[in-house]
Amino acid sequence: MKFSFCLLLTAALAAAAPPKINIPIEKYKLDNGLRVILSEDNTLPVVAVYVVYDVGSRAEEKGRTGFAHLFEHMMFEGSANVKKGEHMRFVESNGGTLNGSTHPDYTNYFESLPSNKLAVGLWLESDRMRSLAITPENLANQKEAVKQERRLSFDNQPYATAIVDKWPQMVFKNWQNSHSLIGSFEDLNSATIDDVSKFFKTHYAPDNAVLTVVGDIKIADAKKLIETYFGDIPQQTKPKRPDLAEPPGASSSSDTYKDPLAKVPGVIVGYPGPERGSDDYYALVVLDALLTGGDSSRLQLNLVKGKKSVIQYQGDLGWPFASADDYRDPGQYATFFIYNPSFQANQIVDQYQDEIAKIQKEGITDVEIRRAVTLLLTSKLNELQTSLGRARLLAGFELLDGKPQNINTVLDRYAAVTPERVQAVAKKYLTAERRTFLAIQPDPGAKTAVPATKGGF
Amino acid sequence: MRRLLLGLSCAAALLQAAAVDRSQPPVTPPIPDVKLPSREEFKLPNGLTVVVAKDARFPLLTVRLAFMAGSKYDPQDLPGLSDSVAALLNQGTASRTARQIAEQAADLGGQIVSASRHDDLTVSGSCLSTTAADFLALVADVVQHASFPDDEVDLQKQNRLQVLRGERAEANYLGQEALSAALFGSHPYAHIGPTEESIAKLSKESLKTFRDTYLVPNNAYLILVGQVPPDAQLKALLTAEFGTWQKKDLPKYDPPALPANRKQLLLVDRPGSVQANIFSAHLAPNRTSPEYFPLALGNTVLGAGLDSRLFNDIREKRGYAYDAHSIYTPMQETAYVSAVTQVRNEVVEPAVQALNDDLAAMATTDVTSREMTQAKNAYAGSFILRLERQSGLADQIVTVQTMGLPANYLEMFTTHIRSVEPDQVRTTGKYWAPDNATVVVVGDAQKIKKSLEKYGTVELVKPPR
Repeated sequence: MKFSFCLLLTAALAAAAPPKINIPIEKYKLDNGLRVILSEDNTLPVVAVYVVYDVGSRAEEKGRTGFAHLFEHMMFEGSANVKKGEHMRFVESNGGTLNGSTHPDYTNYFESLPSNKLAVGLWLESDRMRSLAITPENLANQKEAVKQERRLSFDNQPYATAIVDKWPQMVFKNWQNSHSLIGSFEDLNSATIDDVSKFFKTHYAPDNAVLTVVGDIKIADAKKLIETYFGDIPQQTKPKRPDLAEPPGASSSSDTYKDPLAKVPGVIVGYPGPERGSDDYYALVVLDALLTGGDSSRLQLNLVKGKKSVIQYQGDLGWPFASADDYRDPGQYATFFIYNPSFQANQIVDQYQDEIAKIQKEGITDVEIRRAVTLLLTSKLNELQTSLGRARLLAGFELLDGKPQNINTVLDRYAAVTPERVQAVAKKYLTAERRTFLAIQPDPGAKTAVPATKGGF
Repeated sequence: MRRLLLGLSCAAALLQAAAVDRSQPPVTPPIPDVKLPSREEFKLPNGLTVVVAKDARFPLLTVRLAFMAGSKYDPQDLPGLSDSVAALLNQGTASRTARQIAEQAADLGGQIVSASRHDDLTVSGSCLSTTAADFLALVADVVQHASFPDDEVDLQKQNRLQVLRGERAEANYLGQEALSAALFGSHPYAHIGPTEESIAKLSKESLKTFRDTYLVPNNAYLILVGQVPPDAQLKALLTAEFGTWQKKDLPKYDPPALPANRKQLLLVDRPGSVQANIFSAHLAPNRTSPEYFPLALGNTVLGAGLDSRLFNDIREKRGYAYDAHSIYTPMQETAYVSAVTQVRNEVVEPAVQALNDDLAAMATTDVTSREMTQAKNAYAGSFILRLERQSGLADQIVTVQTMGLPANYLEMFTTHIRSVEPDQVRTTGKYWAPDNATVVVVGDAQKIKKSLEKYGTVELVKPPR
């Protein structure tokens, strides 16, 4: 038993003693700067190999939008010893699954494998970190794939253009934060081999990455294999961190987007969020669980049920591209509503703001906060069930906080939040003066605007 | 001394690093076999089948309660009834309001969601294992005493209509809707959801009648996976919560015969579409057929994962699409296979040709031994990976029970997959043949109809709204 949870019998009802999570963590660094995190659990013969690079769309330069995402595609096109297309072949023929995805602040690549295939995963990940094949043919082919992904996942989907292109431009002033994740077709078309090679050398270096290996391993053997495959990949000069700072002060704004594909109206409401890892951050995550988590959330009970105005909603710190675990400031706490067309967007916004006002004025009960914390606990337990889920969390906490051990303490931080803190963050962050909203109005006659975005592989 | 030792082992590691030949993939042992947690199966006197799998890794209990009450049992004039029953089960019982159910489930670290599929209506949930007794009591109340309160039914009608309109805004949903109708003809598998008319007609009475008819213990399978209470305690608990539930005879289910596969080419008009969603489908044998395993492997080679024939041809080689894949959907009475891709309007004609060539090849050439090994290993590996989650095992047990498969089906699965020969896969190639495929394309008719006419008479379909 690698996991030891000391659950009190009344864990769900007694907030005093949250269950303890003890994921074992072995953290070290190779000479070339690659950070490595190992976590052993031998209950099933499964292993996850998870590599995260400290580069996302927010690190892109002007004229180079979409590079982070284009790169995610290039990473599957082969390397010195792995021919084009062979990456999938090696993983699948060894019984594994794989994927990769681009985010505002990082790009990840991962495999889940039967544990006796660990060396295959390490060989594949190290070969592309060392020697990616950046050829004109691969580049041309993947530019097309990215464009087609854009057509499929964004330009042809209701709400998507408003959410991924329009919304970031409304809530961020700094271009680093507001520009398109999938990039403009213009920037993609003008990307040259030199540009892409430079991007690779700068960002896809061992000292700009975290490797996490989780599951049925023996620590000493895993270390040896990792040194074998990654140890001599050359170190690069660390890239300059992009300046993500937003101009101080928050203001309110609103706009309407006419969506030719939507049939039901929607509205996005957001507020600038707190500093990651601060007390306010944990309190706001608890507040979000209380507002939007599950069938007993306030929005479900009071708007979907009580007012019968909202049909569906989703909210998160970092929405739409991140969640609380991988939120990095500056960011937004945003909620997206789809609502009954007999209401107007501003009525939905007012009803939502009224729900927040109730918390600002009256606070919340002990029962509610325990319920929210229990929800955060069970959703975390569900995530921890897979080796890949644990690998993802460990890597994220290392990359964003430098503290993989946060995987074991994050629930304590939530459990320590008091009703007063929740009320305080509602007052401090979720005010009408700091609010932005974007109404999405169905309009079959509207033309699709094409600015910009991201996506999974 | 200690330091010295560390230094030595470091040097050893470095020596080994120098020795590795990176030009070759590492040599590794075969995929290990894995033992499934043992299951105990028993019946309560009222006919409720219970399957228990103990898995102590996490302090959670995963629950499934599956009824043979899926969409195929919808009355003809009320498509989507099963779907609405599922949506409303946890919205009030004789003794609990919707709010009380939601709050109690949340306090137990749990949630209850229900979903209706072709054959089954399954109530799913999980909770902290310490609260198992209270959670099972809640599930028992919901399935036996759902009261379908008027205001909840009204809200369901109001919101389901908007959700349906939203679904029909999506090309993929329009395609699935048209494809099912064309494939299954007058069989009840033909509908995948409600219509605007059936939502308007939904009533408390129809919901109750469906519940009283199909949600009965002799038509149900209760599956528990995770940290389960000790045996004696569990049996007492199940008897208390589910024991008084009355068994009842089920109405005769006598569906019309399934149509034969035949060539059809339908175009669902979606003006303004920037691309065409293409589906090419056939009816096929289900899990109880000896052809299941060969067809499953053929499907993997053709269109599952990121190294399939469709992916490599349509996306990687030709760059027509971001996605190209195939799916094999086994149901209780039949199954269907479909190849799916979404291509930009300008390449519809060559893309359909490429798709047809790839599909036709399944019956004319053997899959290679490399493809065969890869597909078999992919199955063997994913079988192990799925066991990491309690829900992964629970859902597989639901399949075994609702599809009437042998008790050792899961234990034998990998063995059956491994024993398939290439000529068996080739024999099942007939289920992909373009010459009797049902093809549905969703897109802007003005822009793509001409391109499609090369492949037969195009039947133009207006989307429902």
